[in-house]
Amino acid sequence: MILAAIALALLAAPPPAVGPPAGVPLSGAALDSRTEQVGALLRCPVCQGLSVADSPSTMARNMKQEVREKLAAGYDQDQILASFEQSYGEFVRLRPPLRGANWAVWLGPVVFLLAGGALVAAALRGSRRPPQAAAAEHGGLPDDPRLAQAVHRVRALAYGSLEETPRKTGSPR
Amino acid sequence: MPAAFPATAAPRTRRLNLKVLAAGAALVLPLIAVLLFNLGRDPHSVRSPLVGGPAPAFALQPIAGGAPLTLESLRGHPVVVNFWATWCVPCISEQQSLTAAARGLRDARFVGIVYEDEKPRIEAFLAERPLDYPVLMDPGARAAIAYGVSGVPETFFIDGEGRIVEKYVGPLDRQTIAALVSKARGSPR
Repeated sequence: MILAAIALALLAAPPPAVGPPAGVPLSGAALDSRTEQVGALLRCPVCQGLSVADSPSTMARNMKQEVREKLAAGYDQDQILASFEQSYGEFVRLRPPLRGANWAVWLGPVVFLLAGGALVAAALRGSRRPPQAAAAEHGGLPDDPRLAQAVHRVRALAYGSLEETPRKTGSPR
Repeated sequence: MPAAFPATAAPRTRRLNLKVLAAGAALVLPLIAVLLFNLGRDPHSVRSPLVGGPAPAFALQPIAGGAPLTLESLRGHPVVVNFWATWCVPCISEQQSLTAAARGLRDARFVGIVYEDEKPRIEAFLAERPLDYPVLMDPGARAAIAYGVSGVPETFFIDGEGRIVEKYVGPLDRQTIAALVSKARGSPR
């Protein structure tokens, strides 16, 4: 079921398309600020983890100029990102689009956080019970004192000393 | 006497630990696998989405002057598009191979596109080491961006129909050029 959903999501990943300008041609201050915003979503391909808006490299400047011209021509953000993606692949997007396997990137942290929280909650609930009380619920020791002593030593070794381990002479071994 | 000994839930605790261990493994092992799998892999070397599709058109001014050269005008021939710069040492070393290949593979068309470099430097460079094929200026890196170039040298092999059959990152040798031009011809040599 889950696998089928994942497979479906992978298959449903739509190929990016650009098409005719779908937005409003921008100019002036609006163009400047939009260029920065869209540039911040594009990876500078010659840099290490820098956006086109943040990088001072020639390549980033050229890409920013292209973003600017496309915005001025009326292309919207999605179209501009798609056009760069056609050349550079999804890698050029600094924010992975919500499609295909990228769902894991977006939902993964939430799932891990919930799973971790559940684990911590379970551990806390377990530790709140005093060990003696927890122990009392579960059977005693063998009637044979020697055997009981041995079981007790093993438990003390395995789970830490729950109480003073009686160290009598004649312990097995 | 037996009651005096605390009876810990030994079997139960062990089962719980196994459960926790399995859950931890289920969370951590995929992460380790991803890390191991990608260790040593350059995250920048992603397969070009252009391979197999139409090569972006260009009309660029040759440095030697004359009318802009278009990709369209090279239709019907295998085309080798090499992005290079004078500041790129591997580009210079591969140019011998490219020149030799351009002489040997008469049916193929070779084109050099300048990447992030200045015209006077290119002219000075070509005066010393002339190339047998046209070198085109790319103002604003239009062609470089359209081809998804993220460094030089990068070379594209285009078939007679204008489809990119291969993108090669790094310096080329003659054998590789010949093999990839064959691929662009559509006939294994």
